[in-house]
Amino acid sequence: MKVWQFSEQAYHPAFDVPGPMRVTLPSHHCDPAEAGVLLNRYLDEYILADELGYDLMVNEHHAAATCMSTSCMTTLAILARQTQSARLLALGIPIGNRANPIRVAEEIAMVDTLSGGRLEVGLVKGAAYEIFMSNRHPTRFMDRFWEAHDLIVALLENTGDNFAWEGEHFHYRVASLWPRCIQAPRPPIWMTASSAGSATRHAQLGYTCATFLSGAVARSVFAGYRKAYLEAHGVLPSDDRLAYLAVVSVANDRRTAFDRAEAMKAYFSTAARLDPQFRNPAGFNPVKDNVRMLRAGPNAVRPRTRDGNPLPSDPTIEQYIDAGLMFVGTPDDVFDQLKRFHAEVGGFGNLLMMGQAGTLGHAETVDNLTLFAREVKPRLAGLSAGAPDPDVRYEAFA
Amino acid sequence: MDATVASDNQWASRRKGGGQVAERTGMGAAASSGEFLDDAQLIMVSGVSTEIVVKGSGPPLLFLHGMDGVEGAAALIDLLARDFTVHAPSHPGFGGSALPRHFTTVDDLAYFHLDLLDQLGLEQVTVAGFSFGGWIAAEMLVKDSRRAAALVLGAPFGLPGAERRDRHVTDIFMLAPREVQARMQVTPLPAPADPASIPEAVLERGARNAEAVALFGWSPYLHSPKLRHRLHRIRVPTLVLWGEEDRIAPLGFGRGYAEAIAGAGFVAIPACGHRIPVDRPEAAADAIREFAPALQESAK
Repeated sequence: MKVWQFSEQAYHPAFDVPGPMRVTLPSHHCDPAEAGVLLNRYLDEYILADELGYDLMVNEHHAAATCMSTSCMTTLAILARQTQSARLLALGIPIGNRANPIRVAEEIAMVDTLSGGRLEVGLVKGAAYEIFMSNRHPTRFMDRFWEAHDLIVALLENTGDNFAWEGEHFHYRVASLWPRCIQAPRPPIWMTASSAGSATRHAQLGYTCATFLSGAVARSVFAGYRKAYLEAHGVLPSDDRLAYLAVVSVANDRRTAFDRAEAMKAYFSTAARLDPQFRNPAGFNPVKDNVRMLRAGPNAVRPRTRDGNPLPSDPTIEQYIDAGLMFVGTPDDVFDQLKRFHAEVGGFGNLLMMGQAGTLGHAETVDNLTLFAREVKPRLAGLSAGAPDPDVRYEAFA
Repeated sequence: MDATVASDNQWASRRKGGGQVAERTGMGAAASSGEFLDDAQLIMVSGVSTEIVVKGSGPPLLFLHGMDGVEGAAALIDLLARDFTVHAPSHPGFGGSALPRHFTTVDDLAYFHLDLLDQLGLEQVTVAGFSFGGWIAAEMLVKDSRRAAALVLGAPFGLPGAERRDRHVTDIFMLAPREVQARMQVTPLPAPADPASIPEAVLERGARNAEAVALFGWSPYLHSPKLRHRLHRIRVPTLVLWGEEDRIAPLGFGRGYAEAIAGAGFVAIPACGHRIPVDRPEAAADAIREFAPALQESAK
């Protein structure tokens, strides 16, 4: 099991400001000096995680106090220099929102070369509300996404002459990548899914499939991926093609672990603070999906606890654990919880671990990462059904 | 009519559940639409399966609906049908009309409705568009006004509603759906219905309308940067109607729109919001009747 440290790098001093944390929150609530201190702190924690044997994941959001990383590749450019052995995962770059796919490919290649070929790249649709900052059309957004994807992959894998690109959304006289990637044919690609159906295409393309904080839904995502992968490639995927993201709080005693989890819970409560009109702009999801969501009601999309009930609006730590969104307790507790969840969802080879979240401070984060690396991570190695063949993992997908 | 009548309509809601407003979809119809849509038929126009309501008798009037679909203008269409033969299509992407993959701008809708006039063989048409449909009507007549006798624009979009940081037209995409609905009209909104109690076909119409508004109006926001410089090509008598209490596109924006069209008349309707067909259908019908050259000539 690979474990990836991840923090949203929140500007948590703004959590006390009433109202939404995204899109409409004015930036005068941000003290830039304090933002600089926090960003450096989060980088320090990533560097520590590298030393502790974690791999590293960063993300990005825009116009949000919940996430100050506004560019995956900017953050990873720093970590490429300042870390030694960790794999570096951008999960992800919202390529449908980006103005220029060639620029995306250039940044990927630059960080891959800087890091000595340690980069992994998530290409993601991104959250609906990001549309309001990029101002891309929500309608037919995925057409734009896939054209950007096709161009980026073509450019990353290109070993021949430069080429021109005349698509529906993008037009270039010259597509040319300098420098080009160390990893051949290109860094591994990840995508995210929240249903069996949305995992199908990722499986067909052979990309690593991650699901975030989805609890029991992860089971159907992974099953959908495995089924589609088998149909497309004739073999089952190794577990390292599947990833699950959750919050982890571990301490030597339960009380401390639960106290830390309370601080990390602010991640959930602030992520949800968003005005309703930004959640699902018309056109961003297909009409049939919108109709189905309307008829199913708001509870339909909430993660569920084991008794089948949707999580309440302000769940307890125990409820978060029960739903598989948090793993909290002593090293034994956390291992047992992970082992059970791993078995319930059919196995996965990557734990995307929010080792820092919400308002959790530096000292607690250091302790959390250190204890997990020492006491839990080694025991996770035995969870994977089969050790993946490293030669398969980065093999070119034809 | 030489149009081909298509056989089925996967989106049209017939008879049941008309008029209920789906809160989430935002673009619900305020008027009772079930019976109104009973008169709708499907025809093929330039390869697009098109839902159209044709009613009344008299000189032809092409009615181009707003963001809430053709059923949202039912009250006004029924009044106009006393004096006109009203042809009221659903724009491609709205209501029960298909949306071709290559349709991306209001230009596409304008050319489509010009094709519709050609196909129906209508002459001396009064073209009347409201709100989003007013934008389409203006775009039609700057391209080709040969089949038009007159133009009526009811609180049309189409011109820039903002200049850098100064915004005049409300950005509906930045407001909560319920707030958008409340701003659209002075008529009190019906109580929000539980989406689970609304027939799927009605929800689907609402969701399609909302998606179509986003497709054609997201950015540039509900306008075409080129339109102002083409308005001189409108060469038929034009009347601009505006609700005095329009809280989407305010009256001052409306006066500016009318001034940009040579010789256009302007009628401000009291106690009326952006949804003229909902708030003051009688006042709008009266104004159109008094203005329409086709009716004046037949009265002589």
